[in-house]
Amino acid sequence: MANVSVAAEWQLLYNRYYRKPELYQMRWKHVDLARNKVAAAPFGGPLAVIRDDSKIVQLHGESALRKLRLFSSSGHLLADTVWRNPGGRLIGMSWTDDHTLVCIVQDGTVYRYDVHAHLIEPNLSLGKECFESNVADCAFWGNGVVCITESNQLFCIADFKNPNAVKLADPGIVEPPRCMAVIEPQYTVSGNVEVLLGVGDGGEEEDAAVLAVEEDGVQRLGGEMLRGPLQKMVVSRDGKWLASFTHDGRLLVTTSDLTDVIIERECESALPPEQLAWCGMDAVLLYWDDMLLMMGPDGEPVTYLYDEPIILIPECDGVRILSNASMEFLQRVPDSTVSIFTIGSTSPAALLYDALDHFDRRSAKADENLRLIRSSLPEAVEACVDAAGHEFDVLRQQTLLRAASYGQAFCSNFHRDRIQEMSKILRVLNAVRSLEIGISLSIQQYKLLTPSVLIGRLINAHQHLLALRISEYLGMNQEVVIMHWACAKITASLGIPDATLLQILLDKLKLCKGISYAAVAAHADKNGRRKLAALLVEHEPRSSKQVPLLLSIGEEDIALMKATECGDTDLVYLVLFHIWQMRQPLEFFGTIQARQLARDLFITYARCYKHEFLKDFFLSTGQLQDVAFLLWKESWQLGKNPMASKGSPLHGPRIKLIEKAQNLFAETKEHTFESKAAEEHAKLLRLQHELEVTTKQAIFVDSSISDTIRTCIVLGNHRAALKVKTEFKVSEKRWYWLKVFALATIKDWAALEKFSKEKKPPIGFRPFVEACIEADEKGEAIKYIPKLADPREKAESYARIGMAKEAADAASQTKDGELLGRLKLTFAQNAGAQSIFDTLRDRLSFQGAS
Amino acid sequence: MAQIPNLDNAPINLTSIREQSQKELINILKNVRGKKCLVIDPKLGDSLSLIIQTSILKEQGVELRHLSAEPIQTDCNKVVYLVRSQPKLMRFICSNIHDDVSKGLHREYHVYFVPRRTVVCEKVLEDEKLHHMITIGEYPLHMVAMDEDVLSFELDFSYKECQVDGDTSSIWHIAKSIHKLEFSFGVIPNVRAKGKASVRIADILNRMQAEEPVNSSDMAVPEINTLILLDREVDMVTPLCTQLTYEGLLDEFLHINNGSVEIDTSILGPPQDGKKTKVPLNSSDKLFKEIRDLNFEVVVQILRQKATSMKQDYTDMSTTTQSVSELKDFVKKLNSLPEMSRHIDLAKHLSTFTSKPSFLGQLDMEHTIIEGESYDICFEYIEELIHKQEPLITVLRLLILFSITNAGLPKKHFDYFRRELLHSYGFEHIATLSNLEKAGLFKKQETKSNWLTIKRTLQLVVEDTDTANPNDIAYVFSGYAPLSIRLVQHAIRSGWRPVEEVLKMLPGPHLETKRGGFSNSPSFDTLSGVSTSIAKVPDGRRALVLVVFVGGVTFAEISALRFLSAQESMAYDLIIASTKIVNGQTLVETFMEKLG
Repeated sequence: MANVSVAAEWQLLYNRYYRKPELYQMRWKHVDLARNKVAAAPFGGPLAVIRDDSKIVQLHGESALRKLRLFSSSGHLLADTVWRNPGGRLIGMSWTDDHTLVCIVQDGTVYRYDVHAHLIEPNLSLGKECFESNVADCAFWGNGVVCITESNQLFCIADFKNPNAVKLADPGIVEPPRCMAVIEPQYTVSGNVEVLLGVGDGGEEEDAAVLAVEEDGVQRLGGEMLRGPLQKMVVSRDGKWLASFTHDGRLLVTTSDLTDVIIERECESALPPEQLAWCGMDAVLLYWDDMLLMMGPDGEPVTYLYDEPIILIPECDGVRILSNASMEFLQRVPDSTVSIFTIGSTSPAALLYDALDHFDRRSAKADENLRLIRSSLPEAVEACVDAAGHEFDVLRQQTLLRAASYGQAFCSNFHRDRIQEMSKILRVLNAVRSLEIGISLSIQQYKLLTPSVLIGRLINAHQHLLALRISEYLGMNQEVVIMHWACAKITASLGIPDATLLQILLDKLKLCKGISYAAVAAHADKNGRRKLAALLVEHEPRSSKQVPLLLSIGEEDIALMKATECGDTDLVYLVLFHIWQMRQPLEFFGTIQARQLARDLFITYARCYKHEFLKDFFLSTGQLQDVAFLLWKESWQLGKNPMASKGSPLHGPRIKLIEKAQNLFAETKEHTFESKAAEEHAKLLRLQHELEVTTKQAIFVDSSISDTIRTCIVLGNHRAALKVKTEFKVSEKRWYWLKVFALATIKDWAALEKFSKEKKPPIGFRPFVEACIEADEKGEAIKYIPKLADPREKAESYARIGMAKEAADAASQTKDGELLGRLKLTFAQNAGAQSIFDTLRDRLSFQGAS
Repeated sequence: MAQIPNLDNAPINLTSIREQSQKELINILKNVRGKKCLVIDPKLGDSLSLIIQTSILKEQGVELRHLSAEPIQTDCNKVVYLVRSQPKLMRFICSNIHDDVSKGLHREYHVYFVPRRTVVCEKVLEDEKLHHMITIGEYPLHMVAMDEDVLSFELDFSYKECQVDGDTSSIWHIAKSIHKLEFSFGVIPNVRAKGKASVRIADILNRMQAEEPVNSSDMAVPEINTLILLDREVDMVTPLCTQLTYEGLLDEFLHINNGSVEIDTSILGPPQDGKKTKVPLNSSDKLFKEIRDLNFEVVVQILRQKATSMKQDYTDMSTTTQSVSELKDFVKKLNSLPEMSRHIDLAKHLSTFTSKPSFLGQLDMEHTIIEGESYDICFEYIEELIHKQEPLITVLRLLILFSITNAGLPKKHFDYFRRELLHSYGFEHIATLSNLEKAGLFKKQETKSNWLTIKRTLQLVVEDTDTANPNDIAYVFSGYAPLSIRLVQHAIRSGWRPVEEVLKMLPGPHLETKRGGFSNSPSFDTLSGVSTSIAKVPDGRRALVLVVFVGGVTFAEISALRFLSAQESMAYDLIIASTKIVNGQTLVETFMEKLG
């Protein structure tokens, strides 16, 4: 069988198979891990290599200055830089989740580099105490670090994104701990990091313990169970388990709170291993000089021999093994792969795989195999798809997928997208695993990392094209990639002239609808390319992004224009206030005067909150009538002042304001009416003031001219009423209405009658009739109704006081059917009256009117 | 019966919009933990009453207060302001907080702006140095469903702000609201607009679509087929006329506020000294749904018939033996009895107004002005109103109507009226007059009036209107067909093309365009008569037209649109949106500004 060779590479540990495919032949040359400190990022991330200054090494004609070199997982040099950082020996070096390289030196300074070996400033510090007593060791996790000083104090930076050094509780030890490990904050009860310190010297068993140190306390764990101090510890990925190596050569696996021992295995050596690592969740690796031992829960350990130094890089589903020459991946063989390739396997998947082989060789046995597994074909297909996903070898991926698709053809109820999905994932994985890119992700790591983070890492490494292709292929938003590219391009293109660069940028930016040109422009501005920024922001369709940016690059006038165009008044206000703050009042006035919307909005706001400033504005722009309106308005506010309302001389200032307004109105021809009105208003106030003085009643000020007349008449002061009439040239018509109504109010019917006889009223007797009817004085009304000229009015008036017959008589003169109908309605309750109208109407309709 | 209308029969899913608004409000309240005092600006509070019940707010540990200059009386340590983003309202918040500070009270302040935070409001808070004490948030309430076919943007002052102050914020908000609708119901492919603001809204809407596209591929067919935008300015005649539909008259005399009227309990039954009660008026009330849009004359008759038939049924019931199903029918009818008695009471109450000679006189005058052939009679009538010092608002309504139909008044008359008004009502009204002049509502005549041509071409005056069996929208004003609705009628039937000549006589530009992914070639943008024939939605429902009134719509106009929609020849369902539901009085009131 063709499968034999596959399984031959596997090792059996307890009841599980492990395999160790080679991912890369390292492309680097002359890198000796023994001489170097190495930091490797998980998820197939980059490697940082620097000569280890804690070891004495021979310099083979190389510079005494150390170089920090960054490689991809495949040993491809990404960047390098000379290490000139002060602060003493390099104690620890590690990659954070976002691929920042963190280097901690003796005096507690933290240097950070990006993947392009550029120092990220500012440098961080672990604080004064570290500076004084030197950092001795450190332990990293995801985005954080814990350091121990030579005086055995612990300091922690929980998140490099928000770098604050926090001192943890004093562990109270004199001797430095033998080993240190951390439990990540996400796995602890308190939500803060927990540091495990292995303490105690070899002699006294009862001294040995593990101290769990947190911010607010120290706990002593383990005790008797340990039977002596621990020499090496490592916490599992999920923070639940602790693997440790005891002073007497045992491998202990305990819960991370050291309450239960899960596994205890004797090792042949009491010498602690150089490296201790979890391989997935079910095996622990111990590395001594040239031997790598893999221990499982039971059974014989597996031994691998290495004649060169290696570095163990734990991953979620295995361990990468880096040596000078290669990168390997040690992992448990996935179940699907086992079911297919185990020697002598008769699982459906294995038979399907075999069937494909027969089919390729045109052997009829293919069909026989298929028949055998018919009922379990879907599982077989699924297993092949799954196994393909776990393969690093492209040929084998293909064969497995072909087997799957061969099987799928014979089973109707298989979820067809699975093969397509897997092919998609594998294409992405193979692309990033290529030697040039060197990101050796397993499928499990890929799923844990998520595609979007992978894309983030690619663009971070300036692999924009691949990132773009992948995001396009996976149907993800390409905006992130293009945006990053554009910004990186601007940073890298100091020599390219604005217009050329703009074109280059636009060509790519247009690939992505809805991309923020403003963000790119902001980046250009930050890089000192204001002109480019201005050109770019022109292309931003979203005014809400465009306008603030225009303001920040000093293009206030364009900003105002754009804001006005888009119609969003909020943006106009934004620009308005910005300019207001930036410019002198006169210049500001000039700017907004030319832009109607801005001007109107300014006026609206200023009317509420900047009254005086608004006056300045109107004065400076020559809108005198608007100033006049403001003054006039002020005059009422003065009037509301309680001091002013008591007929005090404060009317003086009030009238003065109105007169000022009057003069301002008079400046323009168009406002003669307003000027005249202001003049009359001032005159009225004076007159009302006089009236209040003479009548000793504060009831005149701020009533209208008509009301003043009425009040005078009601008070019986006819002379004053007449005076107001003549002063303000009140028309006879109005005068009659006012006087009639005023007399009716005080029910002075005699005076009313006298008034009606003074002369022929200019508007007839209707006012008299109406006033009487409204006062419900039928008797008075009857005096005037006959004098009404219009028969319609007469009819209606009679109707209103309930005189149906008279109403009907008058109405019949009008020959208006509609009127009759309406009158009839008013007499709805009165049957007698109704019939009168009906007869009348009938007569009318005979005559042809309706 | 609830004031919150039932929206299940709405032609588009308005319920989801309302639920979204409810959810957002509750989330805001949940985010502020513990007991809190919710201070709402009163206008906004009215709108919210159509969205959420007060009891639900109280469940969130809320003490309710209205925003005013008065200090807030509460034991709560947390104060949440919910205000429209109007600079004027900031003054109250500032004075509240200053008051607390002076009393040594340390409270937690949250200000939520509706529908969004604005620079100008924050500027006021900043200038008062209160910005750092306040957590600012947004409550994106863009519109409120007034009924199953009516949306309101709740922009009370939109018309005045645009016309007088030049503050076009509301225009942007309307565009934003429509765009928000498009996110739920798809890009509206056909747009017809008339008036400056409407054309601008169409323009901003296109900008918004470019900036923040609604993904048209997500929705197979847009639910709304056509958007018709109409400025109130185009037709100021209609809102100034007294509405004669049942709902319109209720609004004229009793002021419908957010779907309910507040009336003395005495109107509905035995008087309970001065107590007021709220009567909800929406389509959830089956009888109201039936009669709201009818001419009031007819409503009185229908109510009488119904009462009579009920009485007959009752008599039958007591005399003869009935089958169970007949009994059931009768009980069903009995259930509608409270509704019926309520509307009979309301109608009776309205009759006391409509039978007054002054009311009839006013109606007469409105028609005379609209006829536009008896200038002197109108002039004298209005002059007399002023001399009699009738309520200013009544005078202004007629005066504006008079001015508009005459394209302004000759300078001599213009000045005369202004002088008489100031003399009769006080000089403080100069500001109102100035506002009306700026808005072109009451102004000096500069050109010849086109009103007669417009009236004739669009057949606005319809003789012999049968209000009981109407065949034209003119029934809503007993003989006058509202200009605005005539235009909508044309826009729906055939687009602007055939009425272009008349459109040019009315204020503002007009526009007709196709949008979104539906026009592949630019030639679609041209005004072609062909593009106006709109296909029916495939699933057999009628296509939907959204009619937006920028600056307010009256109940009578809504009734007229419902009448159109109910016609057999009509291929569309209509949904109406407006900045606010108005009537002549409320509309003119927005322009009133007393200096004093």
